[in-house]
Amino acid sequence: MSTATTREYETTKDLDDATAQALHRLLRAMADTKLLLGYHYGEWTFGTPALEAAVANCSLSQSELGHLRLLDGVLKKFFGDDPEAALEDRDAAAFANVTYLDRDLPGWAGCVAMNAVVDFALTELLAALVGSTFRPVRQNVDKMLDEERYHIHHGRGWLRTWAARGDGERAALADQVGVALDSVTAWFGPANEADDALLVAAGIKTRSSGDILEAVRSETAAMATDLGLGLPAPAPVDFAAWTPATRRAGGGGPDAEILGHLRGDRNDLFKRM
Amino acid sequence: MTAETIYEVFARKAHTEELKHVGSVNAADDDLAKAYAWTVYDEESWVEMCVVPRASVIPVTAHGAIPLWGN
Repeated sequence: MSTATTREYETTKDLDDATAQALHRLLRAMADTKLLLGYHYGEWTFGTPALEAAVANCSLSQSELGHLRLLDGVLKKFFGDDPEAALEDRDAAAFANVTYLDRDLPGWAGCVAMNAVVDFALTELLAALVGSTFRPVRQNVDKMLDEERYHIHHGRGWLRTWAARGDGERAALADQVGVALDSVTAWFGPANEADDALLVAAGIKTRSSGDILEAVRSETAAMATDLGLGLPAPAPVDFAAWTPATRRAGGGGPDAEILGHLRGDRNDLFKRM
Repeated sequence: MTAETIYEVFARKAHTEELKHVGSVNAADDDLAKAYAWTVYDEESWVEMCVVPRASVIPVTAHGAIPLWGN
């Protein structure tokens, strides 16, 4: 039986401080992950096994960055986050993205795993915000989910295609899907995590992180079974150092070169004009 | 590599318009055909788009028989 309140929140002023901070951290983590998803899809506009996949990745990159802009708008209006400062001025260790995106993807199998697991996990989280009691979030979710439908088609299509390509491709794919699942598991955090409990109790999220993760794992496992992908056993996650601010069990952050690309270091001259 | 299928893409910009043929994509399965159609033919805000495997299109005229006056 659901115990979530049916109240609706127009602004963070209607929330208690702890719940508002929990929402801030969740949206920041989603925005950081969308940023890195957009980056990697953009990187994989070239070098895809099919021209259509290059066009698709370019489009998926644009939609992820569009979603980032929507989240930036909420983060700025309700939490005072400056989107430019969030990208330019934070240490790598402050980024709260899914760790699978911290480094260059290891080949096309990695890109497919990102699409089919990491992007899919974010979509499942978005689905848990449909009907959110926090109206500014709810108003943006439908548009994002509408676009994510094509991300899911692309991820599933390439899982099937790459798994059928050969033993080496299938083994690499199984390995990368396993790594991506482990990083998503760490990102969603420990069971009964305090921020998550507050957000679910306030009806801002309609499902707990544990429920969302279970859905991601079971759907991915079912597909892997159909495709003959022998996924590795889930790696145990030590949540002792995990915090909702970064959602990282083991510290770290995006690679310096990736952050340099994101910050447009090569265009530094123009930024100083 | 999985064999690719040619899918014909149809779309319309408004519910009051008829579906029009807008192009085709090569894809390994229906999921990829949907993703490719949506991302390749994204020049309009379509209200409906669908894909059909070319092999499922039943020809009415004889293939390749282009009349002298064209078609």
